[in-house]
Amino acid sequence: MENFSALFGAAEPPPAAAAALGFGPAKPPGAGAAPPPAAAAAPPPGEDAARKAAAGPFYLLRELPGTTELTGSTNLITHYNLEHAYNKFCGKKVKEKLSNFLPDLPGMIDLPGSHDSSSLRSLIEKPPICGSSFTPLTGAMLTGFRLHAGPLPEQCRLMHIQPPKKKNKHKHKQSRTQDPVPPETPSDSDHKKKKKKKEEDPERKRKKKEKKKKKNRHSPEHPGVGSSQASSSLR
Amino acid sequence: MRPWPEAGRGGAAAAMAMAEKFDSLEEHLEKFVENIRQLGIIVSDFQPSSQTGLNQKLNFMVTGLQDIDKCRQQLHDISVPLEVFEYIDQGRNPQLYTKECLERALAKNEQVKGKIDTMKKFKSLLIQELTKVFPEDMAKYKAIRGEDPPP
Repeated sequence: MENFSALFGAAEPPPAAAAALGFGPAKPPGAGAAPPPAAAAAPPPGEDAARKAAAGPFYLLRELPGTTELTGSTNLITHYNLEHAYNKFCGKKVKEKLSNFLPDLPGMIDLPGSHDSSSLRSLIEKPPICGSSFTPLTGAMLTGFRLHAGPLPEQCRLMHIQPPKKKNKHKHKQSRTQDPVPPETPSDSDHKKKKKKKEEDPERKRKKKEKKKKKNRHSPEHPGVGSSQASSSLR
Repeated sequence: MRPWPEAGRGGAAAAMAMAEKFDSLEEHLEKFVENIRQLGIIVSDFQPSSQTGLNQKLNFMVTGLQDIDKCRQQLHDISVPLEVFEYIDQGRNPQLYTKECLERALAKNEQVKGKIDTMKKFKSLLIQELTKVFPEDMAKYKAIRGEDPPP
């Protein structure tokens, strides 16, 4: 305890020592700065002494910051009544794909927007330049929409079917009655779609099986090759 | 997404009104999308007899956009965070953004609560130990500080 007070009590001599060092009258009278600092040096020690008398050894003590009701120690989810939202989103498993959020939206919406330039980010960064009002199309304008009869070429078919759902059989049939032949897109997903379509077609499945059988017959690893070679040699 | 204020009676009524506005916009958007889809069906295998229907669909597209534009005025105070658009552009469910926001908020809340609790414990331990070593000075300190607020 004595050492503690002594430490803070020992701070008194240094100001006096400092005054003796830099600002004492021992400096030559030509230094005009000497007397004012010497004069200024006198009041601060007196003020410090007054402060120390009030604060005791705690002259470095600062005021505490103001207290607030809402801090990080309170449960903010409870505070803002977000328990229901928390249980809804974090209690159950939220499905990953966008089509689970928008099941009725047609098109392959699970693909990234950058693939077919349908991203929302591009819409924000480069908003389309359009007029301020929506005017209905007149008869003269509608003449521009007179189309040729017949199906679109495969390359131009940009309309997608609805995303595949779990009950494939019924909805596949329904979609066929409502929609035309599923179109192919010029995007990079063509190969995947072609593969999927090929797998779904029963005729193609039969062809695949036949091809596989033929390949297996002609492959060197197949035991049947030996028989075929033997048969050819017999000929 | 802004946190919802305390749900009192006024809050419930406001929530209902907001839900109605969203329902109206959703209905208009669904009709518009369905119209576009049917337009695509007509165009994919066009027949001359379908011209009238096509013209009708085209005009409905314009009126549909008008209806959606009218809905915009009712929802001008709704703010949507840009990060949600990133999720949508990647083909991900935007509810995952909400989920991750809530999880991050809770994790940060727990982290800060841990820091506050640890600092409080440290303070009480420090005062306790200092009082053992410097009882008179700590008595002066407590007199200056007054009563500490309850933890």
